[in-house]
Amino acid sequence: MNRVLADLLAYGRGYMRTRRCPFFAFAFPVLLILLFGAIFAETSTKTNLYVQDLDDSPYSHAFLEALNATNVTVVKPVPPDADMAAYIKDHSLSAALQIPAGFAVNVSLGSPANLTVYGDPSRSSYGAVLGVVSGVADGMNFQLNNATPIVYVVPKTVASPEFRFIDFFLPGMLGMTVMFNAMYGMTGSVAEYKTRRYFKLIASTPITKSEWLASKILFYLFMTLASLAVMLLVGIAMFQVKVAITPLAFLTIVASVFLFTSFGVIIGAYSKDPESGAAMANAIGFPMMFLSGSFFQLEAMPAYMQTIASVFPLTYVNNGLRDSMVFANDASALVNLGIVSAMALVATLAAARLIQWTRD
Amino acid sequence: MTNVIEAHDLVKTYGTLNAVDHLDLAVKGGTVFSLLGPNGAGKTTTVEILEGLRKATGGSATILGSSVATEYEKVRRKVGILPQDFEPFDRLTPTEAVAYWADMFGRRITKGETKALLESVGLSERARVQAMRLSGGEKRKLGIAMSLAGAPELLFLDEPTTGLDPKARRDLWGLITGLRKEGRTVFLTTHYLDEAERLADDVAIMHHGKVIERGTPQSLVSDHGSSTAIVLVGAGKPGLEEARAAGFDPILEGEDVVVPVKGNGRAKDALRRLVALEAPVTEIYTRRQTLEDIFLKLVGARMEEGVLHE
Repeated sequence: MNRVLADLLAYGRGYMRTRRCPFFAFAFPVLLILLFGAIFAETSTKTNLYVQDLDDSPYSHAFLEALNATNVTVVKPVPPDADMAAYIKDHSLSAALQIPAGFAVNVSLGSPANLTVYGDPSRSSYGAVLGVVSGVADGMNFQLNNATPIVYVVPKTVASPEFRFIDFFLPGMLGMTVMFNAMYGMTGSVAEYKTRRYFKLIASTPITKSEWLASKILFYLFMTLASLAVMLLVGIAMFQVKVAITPLAFLTIVASVFLFTSFGVIIGAYSKDPESGAAMANAIGFPMMFLSGSFFQLEAMPAYMQTIASVFPLTYVNNGLRDSMVFANDASALVNLGIVSAMALVATLAAARLIQWTRD
Repeated sequence: MTNVIEAHDLVKTYGTLNAVDHLDLAVKGGTVFSLLGPNGAGKTTTVEILEGLRKATGGSATILGSSVATEYEKVRRKVGILPQDFEPFDRLTPTEAVAYWADMFGRRITKGETKALLESVGLSERARVQAMRLSGGEKRKLGIAMSLAGAPELLFLDEPTTGLDPKARRDLWGLITGLRKEGRTVFLTTHYLDEAERLADDVAIMHHGKVIERGTPQSLVSDHGSSTAIVLVGAGKPGLEEARAAGFDPILEGEDVVVPVKGNGRAKDALRRLVALEAPVTEIYTRRQTLEDIFLKLVGARMEEGVLHE
């Protein structure tokens, strides 16, 4: 048998017999999907209201302040030169508001002024946005013109795919599972190989460092794909999850396995024993898991936390997976894939150097 | 027989410590060679340099005609290794571990061959038990089975019987003798003098990084000792002084006085003279001199479990 496959098989046997590792690979993400799915299955993920203010006047500013004051939506700006339909699609939005140029002039002259709400009427969040904008417009009409309408809200349909929290959640779970499996698994393995002198034993055979590392990466890739299959089965069976396994998603998974397997090797190489390795992996893994958008949107977090998240590789893995699996936003998925691949390349090279194959 | 191992002027230093000090070594194919010495003598460092697991500070070594430094890939394919600190993969059974190791060496091993190999090391009844449940002796046996899985031409066994019970040691001795009969070369590192004497065709005694003596166990005994020694049990220092005064060259071993007798046919005369000594003696017996006596003479200390006792 090929050395890489033989090593993969032996490593896999040991891994599966630990019981703890398969739990984190399969049962843990499924438990989280069941738990979060049951709680948030019907919850929409979009509470931000994206607004393109083409008027940029005191009247338009007052309108936006009134929208913010509803505490239902948070206004987020859309660049004035953006095409609204394309912007909604590219950013996977459920709805967006456009304030036209000349809005202030028309309102001050008592002439009709149209506010356009773009979005997909089939989505529940679209209705909520339309309701909030209409409410604020009614308030403005009441104040400015004794309730005689001069500010009109015009809905404009832009088709976008429907997704729910569970659709958004599953790629995050996948990203988290890759990190848990590969990084934690390899940290423990490398620390154990060091303390129990398995590296010395392995080095006495013809297998090379690259082959050994390749077998581990292949193993964690198989584990991740198996994990994905289980998550999909449970997600579809229980919550009718709608995600797509695209080539970009597959490539992002491959790159992330390279990345986190190598991260595990690096952490393991710097740890004294499996216990200290686990502590180091926890210190890195847990903040990354919570701050990289595995469970909720990054946009819901304070700005400084978003800055912290931007240095975590898992952020780009999660974003890339969601872009390709949920939002069908290939351009953004490609950017995230590029970032993850670059990080994976650096980490893999560092890992290959750090494996202590012989004593000196 | 050609040399399967050749080392020239091998040096390994750690700071100011010369772990291996300008070592020259040649081991012939098809023999059991034993590198003998106390803990810290430099045995394992030497072996690991020859195995390619450590880099030498100076000198060169070839294994089966290939340079360890520059043709390590070739060397690894032909050599089986049991490290001193061998630990098996806990969650693999001996059957799985042997098959895994054979694959590492690119050898197709059948189930029958795996079974036969485990049987040869006395592990057939534990072939399907995860290694974590094996005893210390069984783990060493598994290590030897793994080192043989690639059908190596040369086998490095670094202190293979350390920590084993007497029966397990004897079993392993039988196995090593069997390997020699098959024509394989065994490089045996040990601190058990009886083990080296019993198994090795060629012995090198290593001390402070140097080989201080080399030869067959028989030649070492005949060159440095005598064929017979008379032991005066409990004679102590008074017995030592009296034996010296009587013209012998005695050694004190604890409370016993050991008197080497050189030359054939002199034992009877020596025994008669020693019996006449006045020092209290609880027992007198003769024994054939062993490597242990030679080691004591060369190093100036006895060795127990690798530790020197002055």
